[in-house]
Amino acid sequence: MLKLLKKTLQVGQATVEYPFKPVEVAPGFRGKPVYNFSRCIACGACATACPPNAITMDCDLERGIKSWNINYGRCIFCGRCEEVCPTGAIALSAEFELAAARKEDLYCRAEVQLCKCISCGEYFGPSRELEYVLAILKQARLLESGHEGWEQLLKVCPKCRRRKIAGSGAKALGARARF
Amino acid sequence: MDQEVKLAELKAKLKNVIKRSVYVYRVDCGGCNGCEIEIFAAISPVYDPERFGIKVVASPRHADVLLFTGPMTRAMRLPAIRAYKAAPDPKIVVAYGACGCSGGIFHDCYCVWGGADSLFPVDVYIPGCPPTPAATLYGLAMALDLLQQKIKGEQLVETEVTRVTPKYEGVCPDLAKDIEREARRLSGYLHGRRIAAQYLEFVREKDPLAVDRKIKELVKQEKDPRLAEIFLSLHKIYMERVGHNAG
Ligand code: SF4
Ligand code: SF4
Ligand code: SF4
Repeated sequence: MLKLLKKTLQVGQATVEYPFKPVEVAPGFRGKPVYNFSRCIACGACATACPPNAITMDCDLERGIKSWNINYGRCIFCGRCEEVCPTGAIALSAEFELAAARKEDLYCRAEVQLCKCISCGEYFGPSRELEYVLAILKQARLLESGHEGWEQLLKVCPKCRRRKIAGSGAKALGARARF
Repeated sequence: MDQEVKLAELKAKLKNVIKRSVYVYRVDCGGCNGCEIEIFAAISPVYDPERFGIKVVASPRHADVLLFTGPMTRAMRLPAIRAYKAAPDPKIVVAYGACGCSGGIFHDCYCVWGGADSLFPVDVYIPGCPPTPAATLYGLAMALDLLQQKIKGEQLVETEVTRVTPKYEGVCPDLAKDIEREARRLSGYLHGRRIAAQYLEFVREKDPLAVDRKIKELVKQEKDPRLAEIFLSLHKIYMERVGHNAG
């Protein structure tokens, strides 16, 4: 008995003191994916990559809103959203205390505004995504000349843009046919 | 309705009474066994939930807490209902793991009904795939009202258009893309992103000679040869571009 006691004193305590003391997680631990709303451009890459569809996106063309939803109860903490996000808006943290009594507390929902097409007046893409494209183009120095034209072009929905280009193409063809 | 109110009262009483002896019975409704392994890791001496009196029992008839793991599959719903009926009232129902909470990665399989809440009134959800032993302890402690809930539902709405700045400001996006891609190829997305960010921090200087000098210094001081090699191969991409641009 005494021998055993000695041994236990030597070996020490193996039990962690959680939840009375915080527990250390391993490096590279994948916990709650934390969403940074101000960096998200609503591109939808995470929703496409998310294997269990924990992240979903919806478009409300009536209200001109694109919504981003995550269900932490469905997330499998794979980290693919972090991997694909182009702006670093979502990243896995070390937070693991996610238990909730109400299902609603497991959801996070974000709404971003859509841009109205200046040609047909329909909502088509998230405004901040278009802004982001513009910023990237500027940084790549592709915008030295005709800057305003680009900004205008980005506010035209793909349908109208296609129609416009088809129209100008037809004009060019017609012109060539005449000569 | 009357019965429900009575049950809720009983449940509250139960939480007061069972603090020092909680019998947990787990019901696997068709999961991948990951959750089971974590539950058994959680009752190991390292986490030792028996110091709170939490004990995993082998029969639902002894249970105070029912732990439903796995998605509710068609084949397992009757056994799950039998286990639920066999447990004496009042009982605490816990949905365990991503599958138990909502069906998890199996949520759209043809034979899956969803989470445990597709059949039973759930008291606590413990997300995770699988939840770590610490998360399990936290969830059980929360189910017994020993700990407070931390997570909150969030609603974010954009009122005016936010400007999102590119990730690496002042660096040509094409270069940033190539550097990040190579770093990820060599060391995976998690470390790759970190390493690429560290490298591009240097590139911001704009002066290729200064970048060259600093990187060489960094590589000389780096103790991990793998990291040094990654930095060198990133540097090669940068130097090639710079040389190309100059020429
Ligand atoms: S970690 Fe995986 S499962 Fe969770 S939200 Fe991201 S992509 Fe989806
Ligand atoms: S990938 Fe990133 S930027 Fe795109 S929608 Fe998801 S969180 Fe937002
Ligand atoms: S939550 Fe994950 S670990 Fe648990 S049963 Fe489902 S797939 Fe397996």
